[in-house]
Amino acid sequence: MSAILKGKKGDQRLFMGNEAIARGALEAGVNVVAGYPGTPSSEIIESLSRVAKDRDIYVEWSVNEKVAAEVAAAGSLAGLRSMCTMKMNGVHVASDFLLHLALTGTRGGMVIVACDDPNAHSSQNEAEMRHFAQMLEIPLLEPGSFQDAKDLIKWAFELSEELRSIVFIRGTTRLSHASGQVVLDELPETERKAAFRHDGFILDQMTGSVISLPIAFKHPQLQEKLQKAAERYEGCPFNSYTGPENPDVLIITSSACTFYSIEAVHMLDLQNRAGILKLTTTWPLPKRLIKKHLQTAGQILVVEEVLPFMEENLKVLAYEIASEIGIKPILGKRDGTLPSHGEMRPDVVAGALAGITGTSVDQRSEEYEKKVNERVFFGAPARDLTFCPGCPHRASLWSIENVLQMDNRQGFVCGDVGCYTMGLSPSNFGTLKTAHSMGSGTGLASGFGKLDRFGMEQPVLSVCGDSTFFHTGIPALVNAVHHGSNMIMVVLDNSGTAMTGFQPHPGIEKNAMGDVAKSIDIAKVCEAIGAKVRVEDPFEVEATQEALFQLLEEEGAKVLVLKQVCALSPEKKWSKKFEMSVDTELCIGEECGCNRLCTRIFRCPGLVWDQESKTARIDSILCTGCGVCASICPANAIRKTPLAANGKEVA
Amino acid sequence: MQVFGPNELLADVLKKDLCIGCGACTEICPYFKSYKGRTSMLFSCTRQEGRCHAHCPKAEVDLDELSSFMFGKAYEGSPLGSYQSVVISKAGPEMIPGNFQSGGTVSALMTHALMERQIDAAVLTDWKGLIPVPELITEPGDVTRFASSKYVTAPTVSMFNKSKQLGYKRVGIVGTPCQLTAIAKIRTNPLDREDFEDTAGLTVGLFCTWTLDARDLLKYLSARIDVEKIKKLDIPPPPAEVLTVTTVDDEIELPLSEIRPMIPRACSVCPDMTAEWADVSVGGLEGSPGWNTLIIRTQKGAELISKAEASGFLVTDKMPKESFEHLSMAAGNKKARAFRQAMEDGCLNNKDDGHAALRVSPTILKEMNIESGEDNVGDT
Ligand SMILES: Cc1cc2nc3c(=O)[nH]c(=O)nc-3n(C[C@H](O)[C@H](O)[C@H](O)COP(=O)(O)OP(=O)(O)OC[C@H]3O[C@@H](n4cnc5c(N)ncnc54)[C@H](O)[C@@H]3O)c2cc1C
Ligand code: SF4
Ligand code: SF4
Repeated sequence: MSAILKGKKGDQRLFMGNEAIARGALEAGVNVVAGYPGTPSSEIIESLSRVAKDRDIYVEWSVNEKVAAEVAAAGSLAGLRSMCTMKMNGVHVASDFLLHLALTGTRGGMVIVACDDPNAHSSQNEAEMRHFAQMLEIPLLEPGSFQDAKDLIKWAFELSEELRSIVFIRGTTRLSHASGQVVLDELPETERKAAFRHDGFILDQMTGSVISLPIAFKHPQLQEKLQKAAERYEGCPFNSYTGPENPDVLIITSSACTFYSIEAVHMLDLQNRAGILKLTTTWPLPKRLIKKHLQTAGQILVVEEVLPFMEENLKVLAYEIASEIGIKPILGKRDGTLPSHGEMRPDVVAGALAGITGTSVDQRSEEYEKKVNERVFFGAPARDLTFCPGCPHRASLWSIENVLQMDNRQGFVCGDVGCYTMGLSPSNFGTLKTAHSMGSGTGLASGFGKLDRFGMEQPVLSVCGDSTFFHTGIPALVNAVHHGSNMIMVVLDNSGTAMTGFQPHPGIEKNAMGDVAKSIDIAKVCEAIGAKVRVEDPFEVEATQEALFQLLEEEGAKVLVLKQVCALSPEKKWSKKFEMSVDTELCIGEECGCNRLCTRIFRCPGLVWDQESKTARIDSILCTGCGVCASICPANAIRKTPLAANGKEVA
Repeated sequence: MQVFGPNELLADVLKKDLCIGCGACTEICPYFKSYKGRTSMLFSCTRQEGRCHAHCPKAEVDLDELSSFMFGKAYEGSPLGSYQSVVISKAGPEMIPGNFQSGGTVSALMTHALMERQIDAAVLTDWKGLIPVPELITEPGDVTRFASSKYVTAPTVSMFNKSKQLGYKRVGIVGTPCQLTAIAKIRTNPLDREDFEDTAGLTVGLFCTWTLDARDLLKYLSARIDVEKIKKLDIPPPPAEVLTVTTVDDEIELPLSEIRPMIPRACSVCPDMTAEWADVSVGGLEGSPGWNTLIIRTQKGAELISKAEASGFLVTDKMPKESFEHLSMAAGNKKARAFRQAMEDGCLNNKDDGHAALRVSPTILKEMNIESGEDNVGDT
């Protein structure tokens, strides 16, 4: 049985934040779940997809976040409880639809869980989703513990059904990916039946047609809902205060910052002077609750990630009630007490708190200090971002780089979002020159490919993963083909959404729940769009380069699909196609004629430079037996011996 | 000769637009590659010394050293370089006819050398759709396939490098002066490698005033004619001022004023018009399209010519005095122009840590009325 199903009411279990959210959804009786993979949100749907059959729910990885929101909304409009998950970028993708959904309203409860990635550990930005709640005028909740992460889901569904509005829940990396103890509740039997009513009066949200017009009616209705939410937030059981009755410093915090604030207060031993108001209902703010706490406090410190979202709204509120409670100093990011970028940390909060209270933050023992200094002195080995051993992206980018350099016209590649984004780094040949949002590499290439009339003679390429192709790559390609843009879109098809953990996508013959699904052939789609298409295996280095050279000769928008399964894919892992070895007699190593091409430039971690013998060798543990290095060695020193599926040498 | 590494080659030659695309730095390592008439560096290489730099005809070419290697004496700066004799020639009655550029001397000599097994392979240059393609051949009957001049930058030397890898020991090569400068540098074993072998069995030079960038020419001509139909390009002697293009259908003339901008910058610092580092050098003969000018430089060259004549592959005659004077003047002018340009560009005789494209004795410069290169100090 899957982890999130085990245990009965009252049992305590260790859950990752995302698992707690998934369990919370089940306890809330969710029926429909849709999302698009994206760190740090992916495990919510992964956990739910594994129990879909058991719990009789519908779970899908949608083609992109906008479609995911639409699929979830359909569930809600048919009277079911639905949930939609995504990372923060996804909210931007889905926002056009959500803008209208906010106005039309929902029927069955609909909760959107969007996870931010402060510090951009697994992203290319650290943007926030919270401002969308404000822009779309829908309520927002931010769980501040693992227990809350679970229990809040049910509360959010109830709120959504009371207001007939979407409810946003914001996760962050540390809340989603850290684990904590969670007490279980029961899993209900849900018997909701789906039916979409459309025969009622047009202005009746529950039975009429679903449309955001007339605005003169729908917009005020939406704002009323928001006011109602603020009212409900006053008594929200997930807001709590700990600390003295009249704290010198009142910390107002939310989400994972709650942990850091608690830790900081303990680090400085300020339990008697500092209080913590853990706020879960961060938009719209509950006015009376805030007023009650501001009144009692000397100074206020707002601790949140990343931008001063709560701080600014608090300041607006404080201004409105200043005549009643006086002017309270509210510190945070706007005055520079805390940074407005990056992840929050206990030591950062402690530093700010120490400054405000005049206490000292330096609590490190001498021994600790000594150890740190020692480690710093010897230094940690430098490790740069690199592709896994046997990664098809290394082979693909290698070929692209070789071809573009040989072509010698300053050709360049517009990058996209996936593991291959690492191709921006010099240790991965630095082949990619741009990286923005999903699908945008091909869109940019479509634009660059039209600039020949202004004298641009550089060849233009884009790379795009298979999942990204379906997500937003297709419209960009349609644009390029339609406008006759001179470009090559290289689809790096590694048969799965590899970067986020192998979620299926429309090109795969299986859906999130493990059922057989119709797979969509990327090459055929491109052909149907009207592009000239070539399909190659990137491990066949020569053929791949030949194909690229040929496509560079042709006018218009072209597609090269480089198809090879990810080295970490479950189907490939532990199976070697070749046993690799280096003939040390032939290896010329650092000499003129090679200068360690394999270990210095190609840099597959499966290849190691042997300082003593001054030759390359294969690390047979790391090597995945893809065989690519044999085709790049200028001395033909790298040998490949074919292995049968059972790992034995082929006779 | 001073030898540096790939980074110096990149900085001093490729980045300064002095590369002539001869291919001498390619087919020896994975870092330099030739594609469509241009040479590029694919990835960074950290070696302090490399064959890429050592072979390059545009980096640290010490003319005294080349001269003493080829002829056992210092470089004299004479217009035609060192030679035994200058005659006129054309393919003899035994030679198969072909689409020769002029008299077919080159094709005849290569055919003969392969037949006599004086060389075990030959590096010749063809083109496909105006993109140069050097090839390695071993059959005498294949030589005529390469007849006619491809007026473009060609990576001919890359095929010589490849022939070494393939194990050929006596390779004949036909090349322009820059290509043969590279071959001469290669033959001096510039890196003092113990396993070095001189595999150049015969070097036949082509006269050259300048060449054209292959990609530029392709772009220019393909906008005007079907390049697949081109049979021959020719630059008739002054005052014609045209490039004639013979296609399967007709012949057209294009003004040199439109062609000259396609001359690579590297040609402006080339002091060699008559391929001075060859066994024999061959050019056209003004006013006699069916004949060649033939300069016999080395003993090996002289022996080849007499054998080729004896076996009916070659016919020679006396060089008319007026033509000789013309040739000398043209060659002398090119030399002086190149030294002046190199001086101006700061790549002649650089001192101290400076990297030069060319090194030539200051006495010779003085004799040619060119200020000595003492001003070029440091890396400019
Ligand atoms: C770029 C270039 C510029 C020249 N400029 C002059 C000049 O200014 N004055 C002058 O008198 N003669 C010049 N020549 C030489 C002349 O055009 C003839 O090549 C020469 O007279 C030999 O004629 P042929 O009939 O014996 O040659 P063919 O028997 O027709 O044989 C031609 C040979 O040239 C080789 N070849 C052709 N193109 C190239 C190339 N790009 N690189 C290396 N090898 C090549 C082929 O391999 C072939 O073997 C030039 C040649 C070239 C390639
Ligand atoms: S690429 Fe080949 S020759 Fe070069 S170091 Fe690696 S194994 Fe040795
Ligand atoms: S001139 Fe020849 S050797 Fe020099 S960089 Fe160019 S191709 Fe290489």
